[in-house]
Amino acid sequence: MKRTALIVVLGGVLALLASVGVALATTGATTGYPQPKNIVPAQKQAPFENRYVLTAVGSGASIRSGEMKFEFEEGSSPQFLVGISQFYSYGPTGEIETGLFTFYPPKELPNDKGLGFTALKVGASAQYGQVTPDGELQLFNPEGDRVKGRLRLHGGGPWPVEFKVLGDAERYTASPPAAKQIQEAEPNNPGWGGEPSEYEGEYELTNGGNDPTAKAGTLGAVIGVAQGLGTQGALVSSGSMTVEGNPAIATVKLDTGGTERTFTLTKLAWQGDQRVAQVHNEGPDSPPVGRFEGTGGQGEVKGTLVSGHSVYKVNFKLKG
Amino acid sequence: MKTKFRSFASLLVLVAVGVMLLAGCGGGSSSSSEGGSGDFASGAEAACKKANGAISALGIPQQEQVVTYLQDTEQLIERLHKEVAALGPSGTAETAYVEGLEEAIPVLTSMSNAALSENFDAVRELSAGLVEIKLGELAEAAGLKACAEVPVSES
Repeated sequence: MKRTALIVVLGGVLALLASVGVALATTGATTGYPQPKNIVPAQKQAPFENRYVLTAVGSGASIRSGEMKFEFEEGSSPQFLVGISQFYSYGPTGEIETGLFTFYPPKELPNDKGLGFTALKVGASAQYGQVTPDGELQLFNPEGDRVKGRLRLHGGGPWPVEFKVLGDAERYTASPPAAKQIQEAEPNNPGWGGEPSEYEGEYELTNGGNDPTAKAGTLGAVIGVAQGLGTQGALVSSGSMTVEGNPAIATVKLDTGGTERTFTLTKLAWQGDQRVAQVHNEGPDSPPVGRFEGTGGQGEVKGTLVSGHSVYKVNFKLKG
Repeated sequence: MKTKFRSFASLLVLVAVGVMLLAGCGGGSSSSSEGGSGDFASGAEAACKKANGAISALGIPQQEQVVTYLQDTEQLIERLHKEVAALGPSGTAETAYVEGLEEAIPVLTSMSNAALSENFDAVRELSAGLVEIKLGELAEAAGLKACAEVPVSES
């Protein structure tokens, strides 16, 4: 049943994709998206029913360019918008990669600011889970033919984004023009606070959850590994962190069930309450495998630690 | 008279053999919730220790090793299931443990397939199917201490 629904949804995705792009100029209709539980008045959605080109994006997103289209799901009642985008990203070795995303369901942003959508990653086929949540797109109310917003993908962000509304006749014959890269205010003060005494020491994990592997016997280890994968953030059952040295290095130990992991965080930096660092799997001299981004101050550090395909939500508190 | 006596003696022998056979077969089921039936328990414990050791030795996979890790684990669980099933489980608890292992195999296959298509959210979601089996609890109920243990891996 679930698979059938996904195939239907993917059919809708492909139809919509055909209508977005420039190279695929057919005007298509979206079909197959289930009626969202949360109803957004159609008049609040209507201003966003357009085709867009990405004009600016936060440099951290590594997106070169992109196109997007939002249209009302055909036959929906009450009506709801579904979006599709094609983003051209810089790969790890500099090559351009294409990423397809759909945006569904719509929700109202607080204070009548605009609309938010879950970003769904579109895979190569209608296999189980090929349309999976991968982030969020927020679109603020249009100002003329410009729409600003924020984008989160692959556990990263949010990054600022700006789109221009395309006229009916505006089409590109190849990939869209490169978007302006918005340089984000990256924390650049060394360490995780003004004085080492503010952040150096032993930390304990304060958001430990139930151990999903506790009653799993021989299957515990593989469950522990799997729970650490994906974009949602693994449930960490216990952990600790030690921050020391000059320049400061953090050693993070996390237990996701029967699996114990040790990470080394280097290039600790801060700005206001922002805390960032580079993540290594095998000591400070090994290649970086991800990034820590979060907030901190007054003996606490909390945020998201990304290591390859694994994402961990951690809250640490300085002991005594 | 002599013939009658012989027939009676034969009957007694048959009954005695039957009782012994029944005791041999059924004894396990009464103790299966405690210590497991003799041969099955010792054989299963040895198989679990071997499998747990092999899983621990796989370590914690790096990003590029996740697919291989899942495929190797799937093979190890499949082998464990074959070995334990061949021991001839008796009683509800032992049978439930073997069925739990059997149930885990297709879930692990789906997880490997999802990892192959780099759908790691699906790998994580599918692992809930393994949690639901509660294989450790089933092992405990069958009196299999080593099988109830979680293999420990370190990075």
